[in-house]
Amino acid sequence: MAQKEILRIENLRTYFYTWAGVVKAVDGVSLDVREGETLGLVGESGSGKSVTALSILSIVPRPGKIIDGKIIYKGENLLDKTEKDLQKIRGKEIGYIFQDPATSLNPVFSIADQLIEVIRRHQDLSKKEAIEKAIELFRLVEIPDPEIKIWNYPHQLSGGMKQRMAIARALSCQPSLLLADEPTTNLDVTIQAQILELMKNLKKKLGMSMILITHDMGVVASVADRISVMYAGRICESADTKTIFYKPIHPYTKALLEAVPSITAKKGKLRIIPGSIPNLITPPSGCRFHPRCDFADSICTSEVPPLLEIEPDHYVACHHAKESSKVAPKRSQAS
Amino acid sequence: MKRKKNENSKPPFPNKNQKSRGVSQWNIAWRRFKRNKAALAGALIVGFIIFLAAFDALIAPYPPNATPGFYTGEARTPPSLKYLFGTDYLGHDVFSQVVYGAKAALFVGFGSAAIAMSLAVVIGIISGYYGGFIDNIMMRITEIFLVIPFLLILLVFLRVFSAVAPSGVGGLQTIMIMIGLFSWAANARIIRGEVLRVKESEFIEASKALGASRTRIMFRHIFPNVLHIIIVLTTLMIATAILVEAAISFLGFGDAAAITWGQQLQKANEAVKEAWWEGVFPGLFITLLVLGFSLLGNGLRDALDPRLRE
Repeated sequence: MAQKEILRIENLRTYFYTWAGVVKAVDGVSLDVREGETLGLVGESGSGKSVTALSILSIVPRPGKIIDGKIIYKGENLLDKTEKDLQKIRGKEIGYIFQDPATSLNPVFSIADQLIEVIRRHQDLSKKEAIEKAIELFRLVEIPDPEIKIWNYPHQLSGGMKQRMAIARALSCQPSLLLADEPTTNLDVTIQAQILELMKNLKKKLGMSMILITHDMGVVASVADRISVMYAGRICESADTKTIFYKPIHPYTKALLEAVPSITAKKGKLRIIPGSIPNLITPPSGCRFHPRCDFADSICTSEVPPLLEIEPDHYVACHHAKESSKVAPKRSQAS
Repeated sequence: MKRKKNENSKPPFPNKNQKSRGVSQWNIAWRRFKRNKAALAGALIVGFIIFLAAFDALIAPYPPNATPGFYTGEARTPPSLKYLFGTDYLGHDVFSQVVYGAKAALFVGFGSAAIAMSLAVVIGIISGYYGGFIDNIMMRITEIFLVIPFLLILLVFLRVFSAVAPSGVGGLQTIMIMIGLFSWAANARIIRGEVLRVKESEFIEASKALGASRTRIMFRHIFPNVLHIIIVLTTLMIATAILVEAAISFLGFGDAAAITWGQQLQKANEAVKEAWWEGVFPGLFITLLVLGFSLLGNGLRDALDPRLRE
């Protein structure tokens, strides 16, 4: 599998300088996305998934700051680029879908205006051509009666429609990479399935790569080719979807999978990971998962585990990866 | 997917009207505005005064500055059919003067509001959007303007100006510009506050993620979202400016060559007991116009506030 990399993040650190202290929201994240694949970025709320995605486009809101690392997109480091150059990449090369379609659309403009704005920003088209393109995009995201619906305002559309519209906007300039930040979290389950199906089809049709951020293991299982699991601002495990689900090594990944309900599991309570995600101003020393980990011992509290390739294409950041891999997860065969 | 079948099919009931535009926020606001009786009354009053100003030469029975009562011994006569609002000490027809005064009031009101609101919008949006150091500097300057005893400065300035500068400089235009330059501060602060709220919205982040530049975000995305506040503040600003001009004129610092309601009040001041009509009618029109703009402003605020959606 020697696919070309489209995006490679090395040792990214994004800190938020707040009154209470420096929040280390992303602290040494490394990951890569290959051409045409979907990478699932999984983790609890507050583990730094969204900040990682915002960092890729350098639009981390204040007081956040990218302080270290490299973001190499098609061979060029995005962090070396000027704001002007970045504006040309945002929306054109890299599309972004936000979590809540209700708030990510400007309420005072019609859908058409918002699509036309993005289209004309990055492509040299007349207004008429842009409208045609917008209608075409609406067909692409399977909105019925695009000629009429396009003149609606966001408050006139349902949640699912709005998210389709947001997808259309993100796709309007045929980006090579799509960042989808929990695109289905605010939708109900049937719409979720439709949107995921749509995104899968579009990805295939347009041949782009995608980073799908979610905390929903069911969603990544059905969409992602590979998965990176994040915990407290770091990647703890990266592998292809099958490996993550059937042979997870990192204790956190295992715990996460055991906390997912499944139809086939025979009995028993769902596992609860004791404790909660740590305070990122003063994170635990060493491995950040150690206060909640069954395997933790003295080395875990003192040394940061490096992200090592345990098997081909399977990266784990755990001091006890060898031992942990022998213990089969209790109940994750489903999914 | 199953939906694909419908992809290219026509809507079941093609409707020409439906095709053009959806229901915009303006449509909703208008619908709400129409239901508000007080707001409609305000709009009616303002419309009436604008009508007076537009057709003053046709409506007023006498030309401006004419003194029809001067030679006939009809100075300071009470309201009659000949002189609807009576005449003043020089025999001016008060009704004609009131009609001509409408233009001056609207000129000062709209002019000052235009100047003040342009400053307030630019400063408020830039300050709110950039934040940090720029915000700090701009808001300190704003605060200086807020604590200045503005009427006093205006009076001193006008007196000095009319004494030093050639005639005409201390006129109505100068008053209008000065009022505008000194009353943006409070509005800038309100707009800044609203921008602070809007700029945290996800759609601002989204337009950033889609490659919009800063200026574009500020004036194309944030501006329309604070426009409702700006419209309301503008109507209230117009009312304030009219009042301030009347006050300046009443205190005797105004443009003596112009016909304004404030000037009329000042002249009437000498003889309130003998000729009440000289002061009551211009005063009534000032009150009416300010009331009209205030009602209009309140109505617009209720109609445009996005939080009050039914």
